[in-house]
Amino acid sequence: MGTIDLRAAADENSIANLSSQVHQLPCCIRFEGPAQVSHYFKPKSSEVEIDGVRTEEAHFRGRKLQGATISLPSGYSGFVLGQASNRNANGKRKASSLTEEKPCWEVKAKFDKMTYWNHDSLPSKDDTFLRSFHWFNIAEALHKPVTVEDLVAVSHGGKG
Amino acid sequence: MEFTPEWASQPCLMGIDEAGRGPVLGPMVYGCLYCPISYQSSLASLHFADSKTLKEEKREELYESLKLDKSLGWAVDVIGPRELSAKMLAKLVLDMGVFLTEAYLDTVGDPEKYRIKLSARFPSIKFVVSKKADSLYPVVSGASIVAKVTRDRAVREWLVEETGEDINRKFGSGYPGDPETKAWLEQHKHSVFGFPSLVRFSWGTCTAHLKGEVEVTWESDEADESGNGNSNKRQSKLSRFGFTTCESRSEEIESSGKGRCKFFQARKIQQITQF
Repeated sequence: MGTIDLRAAADENSIANLSSQVHQLPCCIRFEGPAQVSHYFKPKSSEVEIDGVRTEEAHFRGRKLQGATISLPSGYSGFVLGQASNRNANGKRKASSLTEEKPCWEVKAKFDKMTYWNHDSLPSKDDTFLRSFHWFNIAEALHKPVTVEDLVAVSHGGKG
Repeated sequence: MEFTPEWASQPCLMGIDEAGRGPVLGPMVYGCLYCPISYQSSLASLHFADSKTLKEEKREELYESLKLDKSLGWAVDVIGPRELSAKMLAKLVLDMGVFLTEAYLDTVGDPEKYRIKLSARFPSIKFVVSKKADSLYPVVSGASIVAKVTRDRAVREWLVEETGEDINRKFGSGYPGDPETKAWLEQHKHSVFGFPSLVRFSWGTCTAHLKGEVEVTWESDEADESGNGNSNKRQSKLSRFGFTTCESRSEEIESSGKGRCKFFQARKIQQITQF
């Protein structure tokens, strides 16, 4: 199993904050690398407001997208991960080192706001992307340590 | 066009026409013009002609004068090429409370088939679908002016609003056969983004131009193709980035929550065990 190094995230100045510059598109782009996103991808605020969120419009490859910029729930952050840079400094050949060693990831940037885009529908609370946040509450409940009092309450409930 | 005219309760006729079906640049615009049938004779005296035969200044002039004419109503719809808009305009005008009894429009397809389709949708309207309707019926000529002027203005506005400093404005007629248009497309294509938003991507010519560019597959297209399709057309998998899920056949399972409890499936949450 690989490791994820989150240490850089603790220092606000060492990594870029990409809040509101992270977009989740309803498509797969078979390309990895830098691109002039802001030059070509130009979201505009639209007139429509849904569930208190102002929707946005943008076009990508000739298709109209409708999106919303959302804040990540408090207590959570978004991170952009990349292969740890010290990997190349080892002087090993890239291809072999990647396959033989356990991958090591590190935080390259963080964000607390992001925009997700729908193709055929206006953003709403029913979108899978927003619904996936439901997990946060459940995870919290599941992982909360069980106290003696909890156990007592449950056992009493069982008798009654 | 926001308010319903006083004469709307009289029997009315409407013409519908579109602009921009041919060019690969700019939106396609549907325009409609409607008026009481009793006004039809005066309509002929307004010198509306097929917008293609008119010079730009003349079109603009006629457009401004028809906007001021209290006996005429008009509406436009700027659309993507995949939508069918004659229906939308007819519905819009009916919803405004206009007593539409006749509608005239042009078609590139089979006029009779189109007429039957529209009549089925709007039984209270008599449809006249004909080739060259824009030169045969003044009400359609008027609609063609509304559509063409709106389209030209949209293209001009796009140039003002959206062009980056390095976008050259000489794109010719916008028709795919025009060498200037072709050169412009070639010059402004980007391997990831394709063309600037002025370009109508669904146009066949553009598809040809984009061959060899970065492949983009859309979730909505995959939903259209029922069945399991081929896996390389699907949403990017985390495994591509070195993440694997706990399922043994990880290639088959995307970040879809497949094979998990309904709660996770509905939210497309997948568990990651290797990274």
